[in-house]
Amino acid sequence: MPLGLYISVPFCRTKCSYCNFASDVFSRAVFEKYVTAICAEVEQAGETAGQMGGLLEHKVDSIYFGGGTPTLLDVAQLERAFVTIRQNFAVTAASEITVECAPGTLSVPVIEGLQRCGVNRVSLGVQSFNDQESASVGRLHKRSTIIDDVARLRSAGISNINIDLIAGLPHQTRDSWQASLNQLITLEVPHASIYMLEVDDDSRLGRELIAGGQKFHAHFVPDEDLIADMYEIACERLNTAGIEQYEISNFARAGCESKHNLKYWTQQPYLGFGVDAHSMLRSRDGRAVRFSNPDSLEKYLAGSAKERTRVSAESAVQEAFFLGLRLNRGIDIQKLLSEFGQNAVSYYMESICELETAGLLKKDGGTIRLTSRGRMLSNEVFERFISVDSAV
Amino acid sequence: MDSQHIRNFAIIAHIDHGKSTLADRLLELTGSLTAREMQAQVLDSMDLERERGITIKAHAVRMAYIGRDGETYQLNLIDTPGHVDFSYEVSRSLAACEGALLIVDASQGVEAQTLANSYLAINHGLEIIPVINKIDLPSADVARTKEMIEGAVGLDASDALLISAKTGEGVPDVLEAIVKRIHPPKGDPDQPLRALLFDSWFDPYRGVIVLVRVFEGTMRKGQKIRFWWNNRVFDVEALGVLTPKPVEIGELRAGEVGFLIANIKNVADTKIGDTIVDDANPAIEPLPGFEDIKPMVFAGLYTVDAHEHTQLREALDKLRLNDSSFFFEPESSVALGFGFRCGFLGLLHMEIIQERLEREFNLELITTAPGVRYQITKTDGEKIEVDNPSRWPDPSEINKIDEPVILATILTNEEYVGGILALVEEKRGKQKSFEYVTSNRVMLQYELPLNEIVLDFYDRLKSVSRGYASLDYHLAGHWESPMVKLDILVAGEPVDALSIIVHRDFAYERGKALVSKMRELIPRQMFEVPIQASIGAKIIARETVHAIRKNVLAKCYGGDISRKRKLLEKQKEGKKRMKRIGRVDIPQEAFLAVLKVGEGQ
Repeated sequence: MPLGLYISVPFCRTKCSYCNFASDVFSRAVFEKYVTAICAEVEQAGETAGQMGGLLEHKVDSIYFGGGTPTLLDVAQLERAFVTIRQNFAVTAASEITVECAPGTLSVPVIEGLQRCGVNRVSLGVQSFNDQESASVGRLHKRSTIIDDVARLRSAGISNINIDLIAGLPHQTRDSWQASLNQLITLEVPHASIYMLEVDDDSRLGRELIAGGQKFHAHFVPDEDLIADMYEIACERLNTAGIEQYEISNFARAGCESKHNLKYWTQQPYLGFGVDAHSMLRSRDGRAVRFSNPDSLEKYLAGSAKERTRVSAESAVQEAFFLGLRLNRGIDIQKLLSEFGQNAVSYYMESICELETAGLLKKDGGTIRLTSRGRMLSNEVFERFISVDSAV
Repeated sequence: MDSQHIRNFAIIAHIDHGKSTLADRLLELTGSLTAREMQAQVLDSMDLERERGITIKAHAVRMAYIGRDGETYQLNLIDTPGHVDFSYEVSRSLAACEGALLIVDASQGVEAQTLANSYLAINHGLEIIPVINKIDLPSADVARTKEMIEGAVGLDASDALLISAKTGEGVPDVLEAIVKRIHPPKGDPDQPLRALLFDSWFDPYRGVIVLVRVFEGTMRKGQKIRFWWNNRVFDVEALGVLTPKPVEIGELRAGEVGFLIANIKNVADTKIGDTIVDDANPAIEPLPGFEDIKPMVFAGLYTVDAHEHTQLREALDKLRLNDSSFFFEPESSVALGFGFRCGFLGLLHMEIIQERLEREFNLELITTAPGVRYQITKTDGEKIEVDNPSRWPDPSEINKIDEPVILATILTNEEYVGGILALVEEKRGKQKSFEYVTSNRVMLQYELPLNEIVLDFYDRLKSVSRGYASLDYHLAGHWESPMVKLDILVAGEPVDALSIIVHRDFAYERGKALVSKMRELIPRQMFEVPIQASIGAKIIARETVHAIRKNVLAKCYGGDISRKRKLLEKQKEGKKRMKRIGRVDIPQEAFLAVLKVGEGQ
């Protein structure tokens, strides 16, 4: 099975108030060092896989530059990374090659550079088309910036565009949310990701939500129920517009689902490079092997060791449930049985029945999937497939 | 020593007025302790006592003092517990003395605690020596303090001793005054033995150690003794005195104070106030004043972690070894599982036990709302006592309910009287007296239902008086009240651990406050959860916890599955710590909230 490659670029022009991800604002001098480290890691991938006990497929069919803001790197730096990747892996012609971009970073030279790298998909961190909402969480773009970016990408021939929106930003209202959705639909992008605001407790906004305050607009964050309404409105509007939900937060026109993200949910192998990048490979006996890079730039550049997470047989079944159920198509019980055996799977049958009774899961022939209510409460569902002491 | 050279005395003082410091000075001056041995404040030995600045168990220390007349005197300092919950123990310790030092802080004046204990001492016929302490402080006001001693306690303060226990100024005069002003003990060492048991504790090596004051006769090593009220017989294995180091001696004669070891296994056999007599030649009657003290405040104790139930039992057993005044029996709650119904002498006693369980035994506890013991006369004439809401009879079976009432004495400054009066009225108090003891110091006496005190009275009193009010109380009987059992139902299921007994007139308010607090504390569940307060079948308040709408993790940070797993584990772990009632997960804080919801809020 071909690999997916993930390259983490933890640089941003500003840090969003809700974010606690490893990304941050760094000086440009660090960028060069970082790209060099990434390239070295790519070159050592075979060795790494061997150490971790995973099989490394040479063939690659998806590459994903995520962040942070990968387009903060110079075009030359991006090209260097891509050249190194292509030297070390066989990137198939039909590969999906995505770069996450912050609106406003896509000048014509940047877009041309991306094309030289073979990038054929762009994910725009829009979050909102309302300027006040964007500004309140520290994003620098305006609505017009996004519209211009999309036009420029299209005229350069990159039409596989994703737009991220967040429901629950400070100052957001039902109406402003509708307006953002309208704008997204009007732009006719083939893919959208809709997130509900998740605030890390130790992000700036998170701390303010706990302690109270107005600096990061915590005071203006819509309440839980309104956020839930917004998400439901989004599902309905996007489905009607032909951008159908295929995962809890992902929507696409037929055939435009993200190949790369699907690998995460369906437990296909992927390899991550850079700060806090995660990898999953298969061992010779087919078991999943997970490992991850240090979660700070400092440690990463200092060459700290990767952390390996053993996936026990029990954890593997649990992951198959709580990852697979994220997809609207659900999971195929028969497939699960053949992979993990009768005993491992039937252990969860009681939970499945209870969740079905509660209206959170739906059994349909040999498939189980979340209901729309189940999607809203997916953590309550997934929790049932986790045993607290099984974590190794 | 002949009894003419013995003086038995206690020290009466409010917390922080300098009792322990003075005791240390006395020990130092009489050479009982060298400076090096003197860890600060030796009398308060338990950590908790030291932290709270109060003495929980009484002690007795013998000192040798050479008076200004050149004679050597035996001074026995009998330390008394300083808190209202232990007033019976105080009364027994005072009964062992002929006199007492009344210490008053020169800048603080007389407090309710001092007052109550002073009255107790006066009633026991003790000679009281007023001692005004902390005269070295700039804020000291000796004249006003004397005025208060005369006004509030009714003692002549003209010859009060002026000292600073801290600097030692005036302390030698205290020793001399003890000898000159306190009477030597009476009692004939040749009469049949009568000794007052005024304290006891469990020692893991020697068994129970008993402190006694011999009133008549002589107690000897090897003697067979009998505890009058308990009717148990023991052999005296050892006798001794605390100097404060224990020193064994052969006999304790009439007038003397000391300890006794008699292979006693159970501290419950040594009831405070009991009279010890000679088994072979028993006295005809016991010493007066014995009471079988009963717990007044009751609460359920449960461990947060159900697996720790056995440890809780063991811890309670151990504590009870040293504290026979506290009582427990197993109880079980639908909501909290297996636990213990515990009875305490008062709120402070409850807090101390709770804290010791948590600190010394590392237990995490949930305590149900403290309550009192009601006397219920049923319609069929049967009389029962109920201290546990879960045993409350059906209202149709109740003819009459009598609740315990206390007489509270509150001393405060004039400016806080208004707030305090409003508080005691709200708490169903009945005024017994209102008196200016000095021009701006007021003494209030109120009869109050104990039930109203156990909830939040201390805190409320403290806040309305900004800390400038002192309280003392003692049980003063019962009065009839229309009490009702208030139940809390979560999703239709009564949560037994949240039931409380309240006065009918307060039930509505309390019910409303409780359900609204519960609504804040119970997390949203997968379904709508009604929270109701009811009296019998009648719902008096309702709130709703709406069904949870969303609980989603969307973002996938570059395939980081372990982060997702950790969050799910944390969520599941959090639920495990909650108590499940029916289908609803209730967090621990909800049970604690009952304790914090007062009517006045």
